Amino acid sequence: MTFQFEPANIPWLTISILLPLIAAGILFFLNERFAKPISIIVSAIVFVISTWMLFAYDFSEYKIQFYEKYTWIPQFGVSYEVGVDALSLTMYWLTALSFLISFIWSTNIKKRVKEYFIAFLVLEAACIGVFVAWDLVFFYIFWEAMLIPMFLIIGVWGYAERIYAATKFFIYTFFGSLFLLLGVIGLYVYQYFHYGKLSTSYFDLINVGLPFNLELIFFLLLALGFAIKVPMWPFHTWLPAAHVQAPTAGSVILAAVLLKMGTYGFVRFSVPWFPEASKYFVPVMFTLGVIAIIYTAAMALAQTHIKRVIAYSSVSHMGFVTLGTFALNVEGMNGAIITMISHGLTSAALFLAAGWIYERAHSYEMRDLGGMARFVPVFATFFMISAMASVGLPGLSGFVGEFLALLGTFKVSILFAVLAGIALVVGAGYTLRLYHNTMFIENEIDENKKHKWSQISDLKTSEFLSFLPLIILMFVIGIYPKWWVDLINNTSLAILSKVLGG
Amino acid sequence: MSIIEQLVTGLGVPNFAVLIPEIIVLITAFIVFFIELFTKNRALITATTIAGLLLALLSVFSISQGDITLYGLYIVDSFSLLFKAFLILSTIFIIATYRPYFEKKEIYFGEFYYLTLFALLGMMIMVSSPNLVTFYIGLELMSITIYILIGMYRTKRKDLFDYDYKSKEGAFKYLIIGGVGTAIISYAIALLYGATGTFDFMEIASLATNEESINIGLLAGIVLLIIGLALKASAVPFHHWTPDAYEAAPTPITTFMAVTAKVATYAIILRVMVEALPYVSEDWSFAWALLAAASMIVGNFIALRQKNVKRMLAYSSIAHTGYITAALAAPTGMGFAAFIFYSLIYIFMAIGALVFLTAFEKNEGWTNHIDDFKGLAKQSPLMALLMLVFMFSLLGIPPTVGFMGKLGVFLALIGSEVWWLAVVLVIMSAISAGYYLRVVSVMYMYEPVKKLSFSFTGAERAILILMAIIVLILGIYPTLFWNVSTTMSSILIASIGR
Repeated sequence: MTFQFEPANIPWLTISILLPLIAAGILFFLNERFAKPISIIVSAIVFVISTWMLFAYDFSEYKIQFYEKYTWIPQFGVSYEVGVDALSLTMYWLTALSFLISFIWSTNIKKRVKEYFIAFLVLEAACIGVFVAWDLVFFYIFWEAMLIPMFLIIGVWGYAERIYAATKFFIYTFFGSLFLLLGVIGLYVYQYFHYGKLSTSYFDLINVGLPFNLELIFFLLLALGFAIKVPMWPFHTWLPAAHVQAPTAGSVILAAVLLKMGTYGFVRFSVPWFPEASKYFVPVMFTLGVIAIIYTAAMALAQTHIKRVIAYSSVSHMGFVTLGTFALNVEGMNGAIITMISHGLTSAALFLAAGWIYERAHSYEMRDLGGMARFVPVFATFFMISAMASVGLPGLSGFVGEFLALLGTFKVSILFAVLAGIALVVGAGYTLRLYHNTMFIENEIDENKKHKWSQISDLKTSEFLSFLPLIILMFVIGIYPKWWVDLINNTSLAILSKVLGG
Repeated sequence: MSIIEQLVTGLGVPNFAVLIPEIIVLITAFIVFFIELFTKNRALITATTIAGLLLALLSVFSISQGDITLYGLYIVDSFSLLFKAFLILSTIFIIATYRPYFEKKEIYFGEFYYLTLFALLGMMIMVSSPNLVTFYIGLELMSITIYILIGMYRTKRKDLFDYDYKSKEGAFKYLIIGGVGTAIISYAIALLYGATGTFDFMEIASLATNEESINIGLLAGIVLLIIGLALKASAVPFHHWTPDAYEAAPTPITTFMAVTAKVATYAIILRVMVEALPYVSEDWSFAWALLAAASMIVGNFIALRQKNVKRMLAYSSIAHTGYITAALAAPTGMGFAAFIFYSLIYIFMAIGALVFLTAFEKNEGWTNHIDDFKGLAKQSPLMALLMLVFMFSLLGIPPTVGFMGKLGVFLALIGSEVWWLAVVLVIMSAISAGYYLRVVSVMYMYEPVKKLSFSFTGAERAILILMAIIVLILGIYPTLFWNVSTTMSSILIASIGR
């Protein structure tokens, strides 16, 4: 497989990786009061760059654009190599958006403000790096480096059980990533022995023709790393703990960006690198995907902690991405990528909503909530739109991706499509239950609560500003999905070219 | 320099000039000895030691041409020069932390300085030995001085008597076990001599050329040699002295043992294996693979249970012996390069973590217990940040250099298709996250329990900051070190059968 490159005139991607890092470094020596404005400005600049790229990207043919390459460790053939195709670009854009929103939301942070923003800025650089890197060592460095700030974010600014959750998150993902590293090194060494080439570049490794049994082994090694990050059932247990304990902005990043890394890995590496193994493992991935969808949907139905409901719903939505990816056809792949974007938006909005509720009501438990809708109409509307988008109501973003993913699945296996379709109904069930129990049931709650709710204020400006772009984008994707499908269609075809061609 | 050269060539030994670093260290040791004897001027002692070491370091760099000297008993090649440079460098950093610590604990003795220099001399002899006898002399010089150094916690403060007692216990334990190790090595040397009729590495290599040439005497010699070296490098199952000796010794001495002595031991392990037994690498590589796996498993699992951070670091150093010797399971150029690279970078991470403890132990009420670390990020944010860097580096998370070390070992192992050891390494790395993360989490995520006030000397601060910067820079740009390591490993391989 050959690739075309379009070098960047100005190294925008490097700038957007370095800018947060430099800002974090400067912040370390500055007074606390500079933390918020600097972070917001920096992330806004990065977001503007990424949005501009989204429009500047030429999707008429598959090319790696804004491409930069510099030699880094020549002994191993490692180079600094960044660039975007539509998949990288949308993920990069989503990352920039999520961080901007998190920073705007975090203006009310009180505890160790400076360190908080430093951690988030470092995290932003690492997350962007993961999505735009095309060199595997470089990719892995960002993939792992991201653990350090996230560990601190959950562990320092989280809730009561935070240290347990942070450690569990770290060890779980670290464990998986090491197997990922083994797989990548294995492929690299194989390339060296059989092609005499020392390179960790994606564009070289993709052309390594592996024997079938090795393909299976490498696929499994990589899949373990990615599956833990997605997370797929049965590796999902770190996720509810981490989500529940993380601070609101941490949950937003975790759901909107970190979970995407796992599915990004499957789409970017597993499928194009190991086409035969991907085909071979379709039943396994489908089964795990459907189990994730149904099992976690059922789990979500049983939760009373609102963040836990959203966390399980994330696992469930990620199941659709797995299904779409391993349907191994273009509809499924498009669906998977759009679901990734859409889930980034909806889960971010839902976690913001949960954080908002906690800030006002000081509880995440459903029994302490209920009947708020009348007192906070703007919030209730936004929450409702997010919930509906998450459920997959036509006209909102969730529908497009899940519909395409199911369509792709249906072409391969009717059974799995039907099973996943049933789970959609359950999905509607738990999301509506979440909304119902927090916002409605005004008749069932006591006067105390009503009095309490009448005291609380609706969305503040910063909160409103964090919500607004998410809500707008949910409509944009839902009403006019054609632009997005056009954007990613060629990329999906390129990713699937080895599977479909072979 | 020319006067010295004239002087030494005047002695009649050919190529004596390449011994200048050793001579400088030896002379410095004697000067320090006499200063200690006559003046007791503490500042002067420290200054003389460091000046002597700097001079020795300079002379290491001034040697442009390696050579064999002392009629074939001593080799100065780029491999030994590289390790000498790093041994001297690490000793400088460690000695800079001696005085404030010893004065605070009231165990100040001038002996610490010149004994350290003698141990360093032993290590320098060890890394440039082409010969089992020279190697043995260097090893003994190093070990015996270190036995003494461990036991020197002779405090006048009543509240520290427990430490005093423990230090004697640790020293005695190391003396007994180390003595056994020495005995094993001398027996191994005797057997190797009996089987081959020579002490010289190259000649042994020319006799042990293939599987058939190995007779029972040679085999027994190799096995005993590996056991003895493993004991000195504290590989499981010969590690029992390590935690006690490391915990009991005064912390700067622990640093010296865990960093400088360890790295010298790694260097000689590589040298003996590659130069003396290159053609039977299949046999010893498997032995080292087993030792490495055992060290990783035992070291990491026991470290998980430790509440004392110093003891935890002792077990972590056992685990690191495992990671480093794992590279020997792949007896290829890549494996040796990974071995050298990891040994060199280990210096910076370990000095960082242990000098951190040295700096904190000087403060009243600090016991190295994990509870003492609670809330450190609030009380001294910079120190906590530095420790975080060292912990993540020891754990092997990019962008710190620890990751690059493990990456090299992985590459070597997979390149030689030793998958099982690579998988053990992976699992054990994940397990080691448990205890390194605990240090980070107690520093950042708990409220302080004790109200301690901390003060550090400028030297300690400077060393820690420097180490953290090195760890980060090498993590981002390891190219220079990789160059050095790969060159060294190719020189080692090229010199086989010289």
